[in-house]
Order: sequence, then structure tokens, then C-alpha cells
Amino acid sequence: MTRSILTGAVAIGLVWSTAGTARLAAQSAKAASSSAIPRTADGHPDLSGVWWRGADVGGRTASGASPTAPARGPGGEPAPTFPSLYSPAAAAKAKTLSDKDDPALGCTNTAFGTLNVSLFDVGAVGQIVQTPKFVIMLTETYNSFQIIPIDGRPRRDAVPPSNRGDAIGHWEGDTLVVDKTNFTDTSWIYAEGRVSYHSDALHMVERYRRVDANTLEIDATLEDPKVLTKPWVVPKQTLVLAPFDQIMELACSNETQSLVEGASKQASAK
Amino acid sequence: MKRTFLAVLGAGLVALGTGVPAWAHHSFAAAYDMGNTITVHGVINQVLLRNPHSWFVIDVKDASGKVEQWSFEAGTPSGMIRNGYKPDIIKAGAEVTIKGFRARDASQNRGMLSQLTTADGKTYGMFGPQEGPGK
Repeated sequence: MTRSILTGAVAIGLVWSTAGTARLAAQSAKAASSSAIPRTADGHPDLSGVWWRGADVGGRTASGASPTAPARGPGGEPAPTFPSLYSPAAAAKAKTLSDKDDPALGCTNTAFGTLNVSLFDVGAVGQIVQTPKFVIMLTETYNSFQIIPIDGRPRRDAVPPSNRGDAIGHWEGDTLVVDKTNFTDTSWIYAEGRVSYHSDALHMVERYRRVDANTLEIDATLEDPKVLTKPWVVPKQTLVLAPFDQIMELACSNETQSLVEGASKQASAK
Repeated sequence: MKRTFLAVLGAGLVALGTGVPAWAHHSFAAAYDMGNTITVHGVINQVLLRNPHSWFVIDVKDASGKVEQWSFEAGTPSGMIRNGYKPDIIKAGAEVTIKGFRARDASQNRGMLSQLTTADGKTYGMFGPQEGPGK
């Protein structure tokens, strides 16, 4: 009996000790991970790198998940999307559109991003290059860029509207806050034929935080009072560093669009 | 049977053993009939590694000797390449068999690629050799 009690006590002690060791190791790893955040000479986090969701389109992440899986709410329900917040009038207009109207078919960039990550635009990977004056975001699939001043200058005026908007940034602690306005109304929020038009009143605020050396968290809120009933709070996005340090330059071609529209009709037979 | 056009209709998604991508630059489900599978054997006319999606264009000869051109849509080129696809690995003139889903517009010889098999038996999926991400 005494032996059993002692054995049990030792076992409990071992478990406790092991758990304690694991806790300490986790805390230590977290501290090391946090301290390992790369920083620029001015002390801000360096967001530079190629970022993705852990895999490419068509692949699987380490957990086996698809990197293109749609966002879910806390209860597993589909998360709200930009079009889900359309006003009745905007929803009525949306019903007159279809996937064939998607500007992305003609190589037009999206206003936001088809996977809820503007760094990706159309695609599932993007690259950030940070300098003392700018954070530069490069998208791969449609070869676009966004130059975000972070040196305190005011937003430019007399800049024509663009499909991706005009961006300005500032630091709030270790968080990069990016504010985008001056959009055209000719791009959509997403690609892939998902009807998601917006107005020229679109306003986007994104918050980027490198939580450790390998992880980038992004929060975003989009408001568009001309078409939405309330701002769209985008589900938090968590990206990881990709195992390569350079995205590709691959052209988007309207030739593809012509193929889609039927260049391969039977009449083309030789 | 070489270079003979084989159209197998209605074989179903499961028969091909492939998944339908839930994500694409346009709506695959709107453009292609996932219940209408086809198998086409022919010779590569051209490979277009273009965004948003790549295309394999092949010349197919039917039983009477008439050649028709078919186009099959594949994945984003960068994704295909990172999955192990090499840009010059399949060249014009190569003999291939392509399985896929036919366009809803039946007037077009067009499909969504699910599997491409070369004459030496190597297979490629919509996003290349499917060797996994980032390889």
C-alpha cells in the first residue's frame, strides 16, 4: 500500500515536473520566438519576406488544410463576406452581374484579395520589401505592387483613382496600420467570379503585426457606405514565411481570356 | 487508337479520383460541367503558362483523320512550378492523354484539366506533378 502511494506520488510528481518543464519550455520558446522578430535599424518590426498560408494553391499546409479554404466563423459557420453586407439596392445590382463580368478575367487586379489577403491580390502568395521610407507589397499572380509610405508624410493628393487604391501607413507600436482610399469602382473585391463589386467610396484599414519570426497576422476592415450596410470586419488572417524568398513574375494575358471566350471552338479545327 | 479522340461523357467526378478546386480565378463550376468527364488523346500544340491560369492546347485526330483543337485549363503557373512542374517539360509535339471536365458550352472544345499523362506514363494534375507545396 505504502509502495503504491509512493509510486503514485512519484508518478504525479513526474507528470507535474514534466508538465512544468513543458510549460517553461513553451514560455522560453515563446520568448525566444518573440525576441526573434527581425527589426529594422529604426527599431520597427521588419515585415520583409514572402508570405503565404503555408502552401500554394493546389497544395496542403502542414496541418493538411487547404490554403484556399474559405473563412469560417467561431462556430464553424461561413464568415461574412463583402457582398453579404450589401444594401438592398447593391444586392439588386449584384444580381444583374455574373462570373462572366469578373474584371479579373481580363487581368484586372482585385481591390482587396480573393483570399481576404490584399498582399495576395489574386493568388496565394505575396512579398513584402521594407525600407525606412516605404513598405512595398508585391503580388504575384497579377504582378501588382503597392508602395506604402511609412515616414510620416501626408497622403498624396492629385493621384488618380486606382484599382488597388492609394495607401499610406504608420506604426502603432509594433503594428503597421495601412489606410487605403482613392479606389476606382471598376475592380471587384475578389476574383474567381464571385460578384463583389464596390464603389469609389471604398475605404480600407489593415493592421499588420509580425507576431514572431515566422508569423504575420493581418486584421482588416473595409467600409463602403455607398454599397454596404455596415463595415466589413475581415476574419483575421495568419500567414507564415514561405520556404523561398522571391515570388515569380508571370504575365497575365488577355490571350487567356480569348481562350475562355471560345478561341478553341470547333471551328478552329485544322 | 493513337491520336484518337475519346470522349467519355458522364463518367463522374469520383471515377477520375480528383477533387474540384474550390478556388479559382473564375468560377470553374460555372464554366465546366463537373458531371461531364472527357478523355482526349492527342499532340500538344502549345502550352500557355499564363496567369490567371495555364492552358494546354492539343490537336486531336478523330477516326476519320480530321484534326480538331482542344484547350484544357490548368492551374496558376507559379503554383504549378512550385509544385514541381518545369516550364519546358511538356513541349509542342508531345503525345498526351488529358482527362478533364467538359465546358458547359458544348460548342467549344474546351475543358478543365484534371490529369495529363505523357507518352512515357508520367502524370500531372491541375497544379503539376502534385509533389506538394514549395518543392
